[in-house]
Amino acid sequence: MSDMANDPRDVQHLDEMILLLYIERQLDRVKAAEVSAHAQECNECRTLLRAMERESRLLTRAMLEEDEVLPARLMQFQQRARRSLQWIWGVLFGLSATGVYALYTGYVEPYEQQLQQAGFGSTSLLNLLIFQGVFWKGWQSVITLVEVVAMLTVGGFSLAFFRKRLRRGSTALALVLTGFCAVGALMTPATASAQDVRKSDSVEIRSDETVKGDVFVFAHRARIDGKVEGDVYLFCQDASVGGHVTGDVIAFSQILRVGGTVDGNIRSATNSLSLSGSVTRNVLTFNELANFDSSGKIGGSLTAFAHNLNIDGGIGRNALLFAEQTTLSGNVDGEINAKGDNLRINGSAKVGGPIKFEGRNAPDVASDAKLASPPVFTRMEHKPDYMEGSYFVWQVIWLAAYVLFGLVLFQLMPAFSKEAVDNVEQYGASFGLGVLVFFGVPIAALIACVTVVGLFVGLATLFTWYAGLYYAQTIVGALVGQWLLGRTRETWPLIGRMVVGIIIVRLTTMIPHAGGWIKLGVTLWGAGAISLAIYRRFQPPMAGLAPAMSPLPPTATVGGAVPA
Amino acid sequence: MSAPGITEPTEAIARARAGDGDAWGELYREYAPAMFRFCRRALPTREDAEDATMEIFMKLRDKLVQYDETRSFSAWLYKVAANHCWDLLRRRKIRQDKETEDVETVPLEHPDPNQLDRMIEQSTSDEVRKALGKLGARARMALVMRYYSDMSYDEIADALGVRRAFVGVVLLRARHELRQALGEPGAMAAGGAL
Repeated sequence: MSDMANDPRDVQHLDEMILLLYIERQLDRVKAAEVSAHAQECNECRTLLRAMERESRLLTRAMLEEDEVLPARLMQFQQRARRSLQWIWGVLFGLSATGVYALYTGYVEPYEQQLQQAGFGSTSLLNLLIFQGVFWKGWQSVITLVEVVAMLTVGGFSLAFFRKRLRRGSTALALVLTGFCAVGALMTPATASAQDVRKSDSVEIRSDETVKGDVFVFAHRARIDGKVEGDVYLFCQDASVGGHVTGDVIAFSQILRVGGTVDGNIRSATNSLSLSGSVTRNVLTFNELANFDSSGKIGGSLTAFAHNLNIDGGIGRNALLFAEQTTLSGNVDGEINAKGDNLRINGSAKVGGPIKFEGRNAPDVASDAKLASPPVFTRMEHKPDYMEGSYFVWQVIWLAAYVLFGLVLFQLMPAFSKEAVDNVEQYGASFGLGVLVFFGVPIAALIACVTVVGLFVGLATLFTWYAGLYYAQTIVGALVGQWLLGRTRETWPLIGRMVVGIIIVRLTTMIPHAGGWIKLGVTLWGAGAISLAIYRRFQPPMAGLAPAMSPLPPTATVGGAVPA
Repeated sequence: MSAPGITEPTEAIARARAGDGDAWGELYREYAPAMFRFCRRALPTREDAEDATMEIFMKLRDKLVQYDETRSFSAWLYKVAANHCWDLLRRRKIRQDKETEDVETVPLEHPDPNQLDRMIEQSTSDEVRKALGKLGARARMALVMRYYSDMSYDEIADALGVRRAFVGVVLLRARHELRQALGEPGAMAAGGAL
């Protein structure tokens, strides 16, 4: 036998390796027969063979024995997994808090002011009880409390996330995120030195004051009468810029009045904007009411989205206007592109470029207005979209875009996409979570944008959320495709089903009147499924009660036939 | 490699694949104790085993779509667990190349059959478990894969990243280390501890 051990005591003995392979049934039949025959005749090899078999059994027995009970940590693992679901209530509370804040500032407070102006401020019992401080120290303190609670919720969730990442050993991700936070923390003091953050009920930069660097103002009322050598960021209810700002003015305010000089741009989202000062560069604004006084001057262009827009001042370049009612009495040196219901051009107006207006009614132009050319009017007709041929062309283009988008994402994230498609069938959970995500995420992201540090996070979240709404439709499409063509776990067949499904989904969204609601429903449904998949990615997968102690009998069946 | 006489919870597996949380609970109750014991044998500390057990079950959720239902679930489960544990050990600076070199170059002494028989006779399960804790990572991992979860040589080779023909050598080498640890209580095995 060629596998005999080169042992000085007996060169005919079997090698231990051969014996191991024999008892583990790793030898072919001929070799096994040779070993068996040898072991029958050789006492020493037979003894070694049996010892090794006993060794195998001893090993198996030693490993299988339940010498330790299942740790309590593992027994509680499922329960903790279930309890960990409770974080969603924290998020819900946080989102609710921010929602309440948004509702208050957007709707309750303006009506409250109107009521007060109308003389009902102190006579309404509700107003008296809630807003006048009979039971509350002050509504502002409640708002502050809501802000704090919302931020604490977000902070607590972040901490839990980091803790889990670290526990699970995903150190790379945790390190990246922690490093990001560390860099942010380190950079904050450095940038803070060039920034002036002012937070108070009322903030004022007096006319004799000069601020070097950017100014961030969080206040109920703000007056900028001095000089700011940098940008001004306003988060206020009532803001007034009467001084000199060498940079840009970026404002989120209910009321914004600019009577001073702004060397840069104005970018604002306000309820009411009044410009009587001078802006060297451009103005981009979203308002309900925008009023550019005769003394107001914009050196660059104006882009305005408003309900009512009055332009009495001068605009150095072009004007792009989206307003229900636009009244032009001032000067526009460039061209005007306007869209809305009505456009009135008064006699004092002077326009240096062409005027294009798309609206419901023809523009009302005073005869003595000084225009470079008569306005070109296009009547806006609200016939059903599907009556136009281009509608179907665009539908095909959109369909192709959806398919391409889905194809890329299904290829990039096949496992995640399959999970999301599986989750779509959990109708209640998906739809409910979809509603929460659809409305809650943008609110939370916008709130995050208010904070300086959260601006990037907020914008990134908004972008992801928006992309996710399109992804949601492809996910639902994949499920519809599976209903028709059968289930699959393979990526390409799933993509094929997604294509079929998305065609059907898009066709249903074209149904007049109902199509919009179908599209909304599909989006909510799919967004919920995606959110569920994301949630499960970060959660232990178990549910139910603590595990019983019944073990799985392991499967060790080691050992070959004992030679005779 | 399926467990003889054990009916696998195919219904629960199917429901878990569809995202049913309760089904996951059933699977966890069924398999967690065995998975923990597997990790306990393969990894150096109890805390490591607890962490690894939870991580394996979290990983299983992602991988369940890859499970071939025509095969044994427990076998697949052990394969995932073995890969996870070995990855953990390798991340802890296990010098696999050096170990391979050691195994290939150091000759194994032919045992005295009667002496081995006596040692096996006198050794208790508890002593074997303690001796296992003294083995090198790969030796211990190989023994656990083979004698606890009954993985095939192909699966062991795949998990450890060695040639199939080399698996027998790894196992025999591990047995020698174990015998040394059993014969010399408190002594470190040749492969080195973690």
